[in-house]
Amino acid sequence: MRLELVMDSSEQDPLPFLLSRQNGDGGWGYRGPTSWTEPTCLALLALSARQASAANAQAAGRRWLETAYRKDGGWAPRPSVEESTWVTALAVLAGQQQGPAQGVDWLLRQTGQESTILERVREFLLGVKPEYGEGTVGWSWYPGTAAWCVPTAVTILALQKWTRNNGVGTIHPPIQPRPSGRGRSGAEAPWSIQKRADVIQKRINEGREALLARICPDGGWNHGASRALGTDASSYLETTGVVLLALNGLEGPPAKSKIDRGIAAALRHYEQCRAIQGRSWLALALLAHGRRPGPIRIAGAECRDAMDAALLILAEAAVEGRNAFLEGKG
Amino acid sequence: MTGRPTRREAVAAALGGASLCAAGLGVRQALARRRQPKPLVSIVRASSYREDLTGKIRSILREHKVAVRGKRVVLKPNLVEFDPASSINTHPRLVAAAWEAFHSMGAASVAIAEGPGHRRNTLEMAEAAGYFSSIANFEDVFTDLNLDDVSRIKLERPRSALRSLYLPNTALAADLLVSMPKMKTHHWVGATLSMKNFFGLVPGAIYGWPKNILHWAGIPECIVDLHSVFANAHDAFAVRSPRSFAIVDGVVGMEGNGPIQGKPKAAGVLVAGADLVAVDATCCRVMGIDPALVSYLRLAAARGQTEEARVQQIGEPVRAVRTNFELIPPFRALRWNG
Repeated sequence: MRLELVMDSSEQDPLPFLLSRQNGDGGWGYRGPTSWTEPTCLALLALSARQASAANAQAAGRRWLETAYRKDGGWAPRPSVEESTWVTALAVLAGQQQGPAQGVDWLLRQTGQESTILERVREFLLGVKPEYGEGTVGWSWYPGTAAWCVPTAVTILALQKWTRNNGVGTIHPPIQPRPSGRGRSGAEAPWSIQKRADVIQKRINEGREALLARICPDGGWNHGASRALGTDASSYLETTGVVLLALNGLEGPPAKSKIDRGIAAALRHYEQCRAIQGRSWLALALLAHGRRPGPIRIAGAECRDAMDAALLILAEAAVEGRNAFLEGKG
Repeated sequence: MTGRPTRREAVAAALGGASLCAAGLGVRQALARRRQPKPLVSIVRASSYREDLTGKIRSILREHKVAVRGKRVVLKPNLVEFDPASSINTHPRLVAAAWEAFHSMGAASVAIAEGPGHRRNTLEMAEAAGYFSSIANFEDVFTDLNLDDVSRIKLERPRSALRSLYLPNTALAADLLVSMPKMKTHHWVGATLSMKNFFGLVPGAIYGWPKNILHWAGIPECIVDLHSVFANAHDAFAVRSPRSFAIVDGVVGMEGNGPIQGKPKAAGVLVAGADLVAVDATCCRVMGIDPALVSYLRLAAARGQTEEARVQQIGEPVRAVRTNFELIPPFRALRWNG
């Protein structure tokens, strides 16, 4: 198959383009020929959402994803990286066969470093007062660092999907505690399925609080710093889309007024955005909140890589009623 | 009296001997420092981005006797956010001029590479910032360092809490890495210049956006650690064939609440050299900041480069181009009284 460097998204089907970008090792890369966990998970989600007859590509992708799985239960950004990170949430979302429960437990052991007891005591003693998100608990990109909007939102989506797929009442074998890196201690007693379900719901609620607390004055979200040195910061379009998607189904005050502001910001961003990934995230979010955005494909917007193609497929599937982030199965 | 020293006398003698050794070592280090050549730093006037910047950069490289022929050169601008009314990023015309200058001097390849700490869509931001229109075939020569292949690098004698870092292979494989920052004040460390610009080397695909691990491990210490990965040795070979070089965009910099929300400030200069500590210390003096009070420069100045007398400065004298940059209240004590 000829490798297209760029695809005109206004005319062509992104599926052949996505398949053409699969590497020989079965994974997908960002731009070059090296496979990474994030684009591989999004590609697998896209193939699943498109209900594509691409069984070989999916099987090869899942085999590659197993190589990035780590003994602590999480996934590394790529196999040569010796640390599990936020991409564990993407692997859980993609319904990876190997160790999804271990992946969930790894996620549940993580928090932003600023919400650890040690850090809260330090801030109290030094009289440090955060400008946003004080007292909330989210997820970090990388263990031992602060919580930010995208890893928090993606983890919420992963935990929701895992709960939908596995149910609360099902009895699972006890999960052995795994040695964790930093974040919450891994030295806990094995969890029953009920305890895990309770913890998942608590963490989802906490994560959503963290997202709502970080809303920017313009109604959208950036990475999570809505103010810096007393100055308001502006939102980013991709981040606004991912966060709004993770706030799906949340109703009632005070969340509703913030979500309404978020939807208004997403619609504004959508009008101006010409980038495929940004438009796709915003479309996924708006559809999740019952809004139907204008066409996702616009003239001149090019698919440059696997992430572009995968997100475009995911957004178009959502237009047809299959939002892979909000449905069961991988 | 037996003639044998008492225990107290023996301890005192040992302490005295140790003090003399330490003092001797200090004197030797100071003498060795004095014997080392002073790092060369250029200050060149450039009042506008429409001037012949290519010619100025070629002159700088010739004056510094930088061996360019056959080298794989990577230009690392500072690309953070885009606001048409502000001066956040290294100006694309300066990057285009450097690209032309290195090419014309025989570089085997000249790449442009950056890994912004905030925006994930680097190409969209580069387009908004004018890089596509200023640099021919920009996408062909540009590498997004956030998404590049990586290698794990063990930090030698780290100052921060980090022991190793994953870094992009494009930067690690370069024969010459050229830091091209904007001359800006910074709300956490006072000033952001050629050393702090290396934060953009840290891959977002591993550490996320922003690169928060550097904040938790200590910002000044991480600046020093990253610089040490690409720092030049101080022998004659390294002077002619440096691994890193700096060309600072001070034509229009940023003052106040930098690096994003400050105000444009015209300083009308390019500052350049192979010793990034000396270059940044000189930039600080141009900005009216005392480099000896900037924490990361103090940590990195093993050769005393924060002292004006320890730098061989050519081109415009600092006093002729000094333009005090406005400092936010926490950093007003950094004002240079020189």
